[in-house]
Amino acid sequence: MTAGEFFGEVKSIAGRWIKKTLRRPPFLFFSLVQPIVWFVLFTAAFASVADIPGFKESTGTGSYLTFFAGAVIIQTVLASAMQSGVGFVTDMESGFLDKLKVAPIHRASILLGKLLSDGARILLQTAVILILAFALGVGIATGLLGLVLLFAIALAFGIAWSGISTFIALATKNSESTLMISLLTTFPLLFLSTAVMPKLLLKSPVSDIAVYNPITYIADGLHGLIITPGLNWSVVGLAFLIIGAVGFITLSATTTMFRRTVSA
Amino acid sequence: MTAQASTSVSKSRSSSIAAPRLTAEGDAIIHVENLVKVYDPDIRAVDGISFEVRRGEIFGFLGPNGAGKTTTIKVITTLIKKTSGTAIVDGIDVDKNPAGIRKIIGYAAQEVGIDDELTGRENLRLQCALYHLPKEEREERIAELLKAIDLEDAADRRAGTYSGGMRKRLDLAMALIPHPKVLFLDEPTTGLDPQNRAAVWDYIRGLNEQGMTIFLTTQYMEEADRLADRLCIIDHGHIMAEGTPASLKGSIGADVVTLSFKTNGVANPNATAKAALARIHGIREIQEVDGGIAVYAQDAPALVPQLVLALNDAHLDIAELTLTHPTLDDVFMKYTGRKMRTEEVTPQRRTPWGARRRRPM
Repeated sequence: MTAGEFFGEVKSIAGRWIKKTLRRPPFLFFSLVQPIVWFVLFTAAFASVADIPGFKESTGTGSYLTFFAGAVIIQTVLASAMQSGVGFVTDMESGFLDKLKVAPIHRASILLGKLLSDGARILLQTAVILILAFALGVGIATGLLGLVLLFAIALAFGIAWSGISTFIALATKNSESTLMISLLTTFPLLFLSTAVMPKLLLKSPVSDIAVYNPITYIADGLHGLIITPGLNWSVVGLAFLIIGAVGFITLSATTTMFRRTVSA
Repeated sequence: MTAQASTSVSKSRSSSIAAPRLTAEGDAIIHVENLVKVYDPDIRAVDGISFEVRRGEIFGFLGPNGAGKTTTIKVITTLIKKTSGTAIVDGIDVDKNPAGIRKIIGYAAQEVGIDDELTGRENLRLQCALYHLPKEEREERIAELLKAIDLEDAADRRAGTYSGGMRKRLDLAMALIPHPKVLFLDEPTTGLDPQNRAAVWDYIRGLNEQGMTIFLTTQYMEEADRLADRLCIIDHGHIMAEGTPASLKGSIGADVVTLSFKTNGVANPNATAKAALARIHGIREIQEVDGGIAVYAQDAPALVPQLVLALNDAHLDIAELTLTHPTLDDVFMKYTGRKMRTEEVTPQRRTPWGARRRRPM
C-alpha cells in the first residue's frame, strides 16, 4: 500500500465526514446559535463579575466578555468533541463501518480520516466564535501570531478530546451512552477550571481541583493569547504540553479500542 | 462460463482425463474446510462446515435466520475472525493475507451499508476512492452502474430519501465498483417487493453470465431455486445438504403430502397417524415434522383418498393437508425436520423524518 493511496483514503474519509457535518442542521445550531447564546447570556448575566475587586488585576481585562471569549471556545470545542464518537456508533449500526472494513484500505485511515474531519469542524467553529467575538468588540492582544496559536490550541485540544468520546463510542457501541458519559466527563471540568472565572476568585475546593484540571491550563493559554499583549510562551507552551499529554492518553486508548473493533 | 472438472466434488460433469489430486482445488475459487466460529460466551454460530464454490458459478447458502449464513460470509470476506478451520479465496488464505482478499471481492451486506446523508452518486464516488480506482475511470464507472441499477434519475438525491428497493440496488452497485472476482451478497432481496426482487435476480444473473462468481445467502427457497447453480442448505451452523437445486429436489424423489391434526383428545396424533398410514402401499417414507407429518410418495394425488380414510378410521381430525411436488422447502424439511420460515418480513424502515418512501421507478 503506497503512501499516496493512504493519503487518498484519509482524504476521502475525512471528506465524507465533513460533507455529512455540513449537511446536518444540528451542526449549524451548535456552531452558530450556541456560541451566540453563550456570549449573550453569560456575559449579560455575569457582566458584573468584572467589577469584583481583583478581577482586572488578575486577568488583565476589565471586560468579562473578553475574558469569556476563551471559555466559549473551550465550551464549543468540548461540545463538538463530545459528538465525535457518535459518528462511529452510527456507522456501526448502519453497517457502513463494515463497508469500510471490507474495502482494501489501510484501517488506520478510517480513524485518522475521522479525527481530521473533527479537527476541521473545530477550526471552522473556532473561526465562527472569533468572528463573533470581534463583532462584539473583543480583540486579540497578541496579534496574528496569537490568532494562529489560538486556532492551533483549539485544534489540538479538540482532537485530543475527540479521543475521549470516540473511545467511549467504540467501547459502548451506543450513542446515548457516548453522549451521556462524554457530557459527564467534560462539562464539570469546564466549571471546575479557570475558564469562566479567574483563579483568584475561585473558592476552595474548586480552586484546589482547578489546579489538577487540564482545562485550567488550556483556558489560561487562551485567556493569555486573547487578553495579555506580548506572547507569554510559558503559558502557551504549558497549554500545548497538557493537551499533548491528554491527547497521548486518549488517542492511544482510542487506537487500541479501534484496533479491537476492526479486527473482531 | 465453463464448468470444469473437480476431483474433489463427486458430481463432476467431466469424466475425461483425471486431474491430478494436487490440482483438486483448481476450479474452486472459494475453499472452506471445517470452519468454526464461536461467539462469546458459547454460541457456535458456525459449527464445522466445509464447502467449495467453483469459479464462475452462482453458489447459494439457503437457511433460516440464525443458521450461520451471515457469519460464514463475514469470515470469508475478512470481516470477522474464525475460531478454527480454513477459508481460502482465489488461493488467498483469510488468515495470511486478508488485505489481498479485500482487493478481489465485492460485498453487499444484509443491512444496507450506504450513507444516507450523501447522494447516491457521492456514495459511489467514495467507494471508487476506497477501492483506488484510477481517477479518470471513476465517473464513467459510476454512470455505467447507475444506469444498470436504474438509479440515474435519483443519483443526485440523498440516499436517505430512497425507497428500500433503491437502497438495496445502490448497495449492490457499491459492491460492484471494484469489478470484483467474487461477489458476496448477503440476502440480496430480503425486504424487497416481488417486482424489485425479480429485477435484482435478473441483474445478478446478468453479472454471472459475464463471468462473475457469486456467493449469495438467502432465506427464500424460490430465490435459491432460480439463481443458484449449486447450493448448501444450512441450519444451526451445519450444512445439511449440498447439490444443485434439481439434484436436491430429486433426492426427495417423490411428492410430499404434509398433514397436521386437530388435537381432539388424541394423545399423540403424529404417532397415531404414522401407525395408521403404515399399511398403505405406495408411501415411501413418513416423517414427523414441525406441527405434523410429511408423507413422501411417488404418486401422491392418487393416494390422498386412502390417506384421508385411514386417518378417519384412526379418529384423527385433519387440520390441514397440502400436496406439493418437491420444492426446496421440502428438501429443507427432509434434512432438518423443520419448515423454513418463509414468511415475507418487510421490516419497518425508521427514518428520523417519518416515512419518506417513494415508489421505485
